[in-house]
Amino acid sequence: MAAFPINSNFEGDFVMQLISVDTEDTMDQVAEKCAYHSVGRRVAAQPEKVMRVRLHNTTENYPRDMTVSDAGWRPTETLDIIFADS
Amino acid sequence: MYQIPREEWYDLTRSTNWTYSYVSEEEMFPEEMSGSRGIPIEAWETYDEPYKVTYPEYVSIQREKDSGAYSVKAALERDAYVDRADPGWISTMIAHYGAIAVNEYAASLAEARMARFSKAPGNRNMATFGTLDENRHGQIQLFFPHANIKRSRQWDWAHKAMHTNDWAAIAARSFFDDIMLSRDAIAVSIMLTFGFETGFTNMQFLGLAADASEAGDHTFASLISSVQTDEARHAQQGGPSLKILIENGQKEEAQKLVDVSIWRAWKLFSVLTGPIMDYYTPLEHRSQSFKEFMVEWIIVQFERQLADLGLDAPWFWEDLTKDLDVTHHGMHLGVWYWRPTVWWNPAAGASPEDREWLEEKYPGWNKTWGKCWDVITENLNNGREDLTLPETLPYVCNMCQLPIVGTPGEGWNVRDYPLEHEGRLYHFGSEADRWCFEQDPERYKEHQNLIDRFLSGQVQPADLPGTLAYMNLGPGEMGKDAHDYAWAAAFKKQVSAA
Repeated sequence: MAAFPINSNFEGDFVMQLISVDTEDTMDQVAEKCAYHSVGRRVAAQPEKVMRVRLHNTTENYPRDMTVSDAGWRPTETLDIIFADS
Repeated sequence: MYQIPREEWYDLTRSTNWTYSYVSEEEMFPEEMSGSRGIPIEAWETYDEPYKVTYPEYVSIQREKDSGAYSVKAALERDAYVDRADPGWISTMIAHYGAIAVNEYAASLAEARMARFSKAPGNRNMATFGTLDENRHGQIQLFFPHANIKRSRQWDWAHKAMHTNDWAAIAARSFFDDIMLSRDAIAVSIMLTFGFETGFTNMQFLGLAADASEAGDHTFASLISSVQTDEARHAQQGGPSLKILIENGQKEEAQKLVDVSIWRAWKLFSVLTGPIMDYYTPLEHRSQSFKEFMVEWIIVQFERQLADLGLDAPWFWEDLTKDLDVTHHGMHLGVWYWRPTVWWNPAAGASPEDREWLEEKYPGWNKTWGKCWDVITENLNNGREDLTLPETLPYVCNMCQLPIVGTPGEGWNVRDYPLEHEGRLYHFGSEADRWCFEQDPERYKEHQNLIDRFLSGQVQPADLPGTLAYMNLGPGEMGKDAHDYAWAAAFKKQVSAA
């Protein structure tokens, strides 16, 4: 358990933001933490969609239950948080 | 008393280099300060500045300028314009003074470097006047806002801003230190006077003077015009330096100095001038959109000047042109959302009428930037101001020190341009920002942006209140919405009227 800084690039938002996650967080928890600072603030909620996490400028989402420590990110890694159907 | 006519002595005196016997040329003009780049001193003696002035002429003109601007100020002070001006215009002045006034003193040091160390006698002559110009600009732009300190502590940031760790001050210092204070005399002549002043101060000062007159602020308009006429003169020092570099086989070096300074200047002006022109200036007083102004004064004019000198348009010219629809909207939204972190009160400029104007000037604005403002407006109208205030930091670029922004909403396109250098991960807001770093990593690699400082424990406690304290923002200084959300309430009225 340790705090881990990431750079959140949230779909529909205009700016990247510094977000502190935990090394034991799952990808769903990472998406939640990022959403807290974008959705309902500058991005409209999309309750019918699922928020998925992927490395910036890539197309493959991480498995939803994968943990931060397993993802092998560098501190301040840039991540895209995307609204997806599943 | 008989005086020798000017034309009989001027050229001789302005081009005179002295013959030194106690020191060598290298001791007289150390390369790191002079930046002659191996070009012999005889070539530098051919430096021919297009604007020539003598000291008595200079003093006489400057005296007239000062007495004009100070008289207007004295006469209009009794009129108390500031008490009845639109809050958006007040914010424009407070933001301008904080970002510019003290940097004018820094510019005086940069001019003094050319006055002492340039191998070109004509450059030294011009820069002597430039040193005096910038000293005057520092004084006048501290004196004028000082009269308003009784109205709000934010006016005191004319002097305070550059002595703090406010993010905007870090960004301004990073840029000005790079192009003015940590370069040799020739690089200063190109990066400060050609790259920055020729285009960008024209925009800040001419555009603002036009907007000030429109807004009825004749004190600010006269001050700004008084500064701009000096800039128009001393900005001409870079052209002759570029000419000598190109004639002596150093076009590539000349182009690089121009390109780095233009890009960095653009980014700073996207956060300073863009929001002022398109959002803070009351709608009825806007003379041109920021984009229109940029195209006329920067894109077209610079292109022509570069071509005249035998240089190419910077490689990022197309990116910069595209960014005119994006970057300053993002900087504005960022400044507004993180408003407690600035020393002025940002005007949202997002009323129904403002949005109509923005859509006309920037087609597609409502589907992109407007989407973010929709959520903000709804929150304000539902009593959720808390959701319109930040709880974390925006990620800032390791070159321009400004938030990494891009198009939101339906055209979502926000990109990071990362670089791993000697084991450290850097983030940049554009390809050109990263390119600037890559031109000289030794110069930039140790610098810590706000996020680096936050993560390394320099900001305590490591939260938003701690960050505000780190930025030296006290009560009565932190920004709030300039119009107390009246622009959002206008949408509520629209709905109830329908």
